[in-house]
Amino acid sequence: MRRTYLGEFEELVLMVIAIHDGSAYGVTVSQEIEEQTGRVVTFGAIHNTLIRLEEKGFVTSELGGATTERGGRRKRLFEITALGKAALADIQHLRNRLWKLMPDDILKLSNI
Amino acid sequence: MKVTQPPRWAKTLLRWLHPTNTIEEVEGDLDELYAYSYQRSGKRKALLHYLLNLVTVVPPFVRRRQQKTKYEQPFSLSPDMLKNYFKIAWRNIVRQKAYSVLNIAGLSIGLACSILILLWVQNELSYDRFHSRADQLFRITCSAGDFKAAVSAAGMARGLQAQLPQIKAGVRISKPFPALFEVGEKRVEEKRVFFADSNFLQVFSFPLLSGNVATALKDPGAILITQQTAEKYYGTRDAVGKTIRINNNENFTIAGILANTPSNSHLQFDVIIPMKTMAKWNWDLQNDTWNNFNFYTYLELDEKTAESESAQQNLLQQIAKIFKTHGATAKIDFQLQPLTDIHLHSNLQIDLPGHGNIQYVNIFFVVAIFILVVACINFMNLATARFERRAKEVGLRKVVGANRYQLVFQFLGESFIFSFLSLVIAIGMVYLLLPVFKILTEKSLAIDWLDGKLLLSLIGIAILTGLLSGSYPAFFLSGFAPVKVLKGKLRVARGNLLFRNALVVTQFVVAIVLLVGTAVVYKQLDFIKNRNLGFDKSNLLYLAMTGELGEKKQALKASLAQNPLTENFTVISGLPTTLETGTVDVVWDGQTARNQVVFPSLDVDENFVKVFKSQVLAGRGFDESFSGDSSSYMINEKAMQIMGMNLGNAVGQNLTFGDTKGTIIGVVKDFHFKSLQYAMEPLILRLNKWGGVVMVRTTAGNNEQTIKELEKINQQLNPAFPFTFGFLDEDLDNLYRSEQQMGSIFNLFAGLAIFISCLGLYGLSAFMAEQRTKEIGVRKVLGATVAGVVGLLSQDFLRLILIAIVIASPIAWYAMNKWLQGFAYQTALDWWVIALAGLLATGIALFTISFQSIKAALMNPVKSLRSE
Repeated sequence: MRRTYLGEFEELVLMVIAIHDGSAYGVTVSQEIEEQTGRVVTFGAIHNTLIRLEEKGFVTSELGGATTERGGRRKRLFEITALGKAALADIQHLRNRLWKLMPDDILKLSNI
Repeated sequence: MKVTQPPRWAKTLLRWLHPTNTIEEVEGDLDELYAYSYQRSGKRKALLHYLLNLVTVVPPFVRRRQQKTKYEQPFSLSPDMLKNYFKIAWRNIVRQKAYSVLNIAGLSIGLACSILILLWVQNELSYDRFHSRADQLFRITCSAGDFKAAVSAAGMARGLQAQLPQIKAGVRISKPFPALFEVGEKRVEEKRVFFADSNFLQVFSFPLLSGNVATALKDPGAILITQQTAEKYYGTRDAVGKTIRINNNENFTIAGILANTPSNSHLQFDVIIPMKTMAKWNWDLQNDTWNNFNFYTYLELDEKTAESESAQQNLLQQIAKIFKTHGATAKIDFQLQPLTDIHLHSNLQIDLPGHGNIQYVNIFFVVAIFILVVACINFMNLATARFERRAKEVGLRKVVGANRYQLVFQFLGESFIFSFLSLVIAIGMVYLLLPVFKILTEKSLAIDWLDGKLLLSLIGIAILTGLLSGSYPAFFLSGFAPVKVLKGKLRVARGNLLFRNALVVTQFVVAIVLLVGTAVVYKQLDFIKNRNLGFDKSNLLYLAMTGELGEKKQALKASLAQNPLTENFTVISGLPTTLETGTVDVVWDGQTARNQVVFPSLDVDENFVKVFKSQVLAGRGFDESFSGDSSSYMINEKAMQIMGMNLGNAVGQNLTFGDTKGTIIGVVKDFHFKSLQYAMEPLILRLNKWGGVVMVRTTAGNNEQTIKELEKINQQLNPAFPFTFGFLDEDLDNLYRSEQQMGSIFNLFAGLAIFISCLGLYGLSAFMAEQRTKEIGVRKVLGATVAGVVGLLSQDFLRLILIAIVIASPIAWYAMNKWLQGFAYQTALDWWVIALAGLLATGIALFTISFQSIKAALMNPVKSLRSE
């Protein structure tokens, strides 16, 4: 079966969700990516990616319980699905295979 | 710690623009991010960041979260669902028989009407399109001022073709030329006989069944007859080579058999004789004249000219120039009339008979659509009126998970079942009614049921009907909120009631307009028939002077004069139904400029004034005691006005008509010598020296005997020719045949439109009465009278009909005024015609409602109140 295409940013977001294991929501994903990559990401990009990942079936979401935080507004919590996990594993597997094929000297910095 | 919040306006903006189903989490997340960046980098940066984020989560950038459905839905088109839909639809049809019958009857009558009308329209539009080069064929027509005619001169076809390369071919066809045909013992006067040029069959696509297309019309002694004619004379279509005697003086060989003229051809012929034959005795043809307009000329243009309007204008200018070089004195304009326009778009004089009228085609097309709409409205009204019965079903379907589209689909499907069922019944009706309709329209309409195009358009009409009639109920019924429906009675939405009332009003507007239309058409016909023509048209019998009668004129006159039954006679050149001659070549005393008005002329004898009972206003009529009358003229009032004379000075003036100089001896009161569609034209009366038609004034009750006497005289003097006669008043009535037809068709469809409307009204009133059973019961217990209850139930509908009358009156008035403008003499469009139509519609509607309302009012209140 042909896998659904997973973009670079989508991959990052998916990994962050996997790392946070069920407690990931918009803010955590946004902060985590900014921290890890140093990029400035707009919230819209995160929001859209989360919805797209859910449409593709890589994550599921649920509204969390109401709390006193943030004016009682609920968070939408994301969790990676089995399909999402398989997709991440697939990507890593592919990368590993390709790395193994890479000639040793090609990426040595001294050659540049 | 006080939580830092972004400014309120920014949050309002967010709430306003962001999709509602994700606003909660997004707003919370953004607040959190704001607080976070406020702490890290201060207020300014935090706000900037917040606004940037805000822009990215509003349309068009934001992605919308799809609403997740909680339950799996069966596919609308799955076999199980379809089966269920059909089952429910069938149960509904069967359970409510009265309702189903009303619906299907209305729809199928409406469909049948529309199919019949559309067949007629299609037939009218198909005229002359069967010719393979129909688009390239044009007829030359001419006009002199207001006088427009379909004829052109004999020399034009060949002359123009020789000089203008755009013209690929030209065919001349003579006016119809009635002649006596004789084969063995069989003698018949054929009316549809034409002379035509030898390339007739190449330019037109009339199929030749046997014979040679190239040579068929070359030999002056050979003729072509149609299959029907061949069978009439010989009993077989293999008649090539046989001889036929024409007018008792010349024998012709049959060179070929033509297929019968297609009914949708404006040229209707039985016999075609080569033009060369006519050239033997016709002055026009021998001299190739450009001045006498006696032939129909058809031109085949090359493709480029036929397509472009400007090229045709150019060609017309060239024609005008060439026409001038041929020594033409009169100012005559020429037009090119496309062959396919001849049937519907021509209103020319001296034309072949039997033309249609594009106005009628348009009117009937609109009527067909309206009748269908009226039938569809019935369906909509009845379906929405009984919504309560279906409301529970809709509620339950929704509760178990149906979404709106499925319900729309279901109800539309039901209306399609109705419309297709009606289509089948309608086709049956059309099949049965077609013979009657054919008689009514005098057309040979045929339906080829296997014709794919026809079937497709029928199915198209059924689908359109289904959509039109099903759409409103479908959207209305599927919109119920299940909780409200299942909890108890649903209150009638005001909008629904208003819509339904609007539909009823529409129905009655259509019905009333059609009623007024019928009344006005009949009133106009009556007006025309009873209009004083300027002479007494009753009891005028005519006998055409055919065969030897022309030569034996003196003997004929003598024997007519001897018999007391026929002694009151006159010989005139043509019947005053359609005078076809006319000239602009008129010169009178005191004329200032060259005459441009066409003056028709009629040759009459000394008895004319007496026999026709017309009135001489000044001077005298022709008289045998004045020897110089052969160069005297009588004119009518109109001619007198055009010549600028008056009753006091007209008599005695000089007048030159054609080449003959003479004097005016009398002025006759205007009398109609053409169809009343044309305004009065000037007329010059000359003394008849040759013949034409014998008109005999009989006395009432003696017609039969007079005809016998005339037949005897014809037998003595003209034994070779069969006796033919006619009554002038019948011929005059025949001039208005197409109007008469329109009247009867209109009548029929107005009746049907009202009938269909009443079917709907009947159903609607039944449901209204049913809904108000309890109310009526209570009212009766409290002492309401039967009349009071009937009034109560009727007044709602009465109001609607009154509104319909108010809307319909101006529409009807405008439409009928337009139609009447086509006549030079019109009846007055009185207000009482509209009032009468309105009254009639009201009466019929009240009568329809009364069935149900009286029944409801007479019901025993105990029965209606007992059950709760």
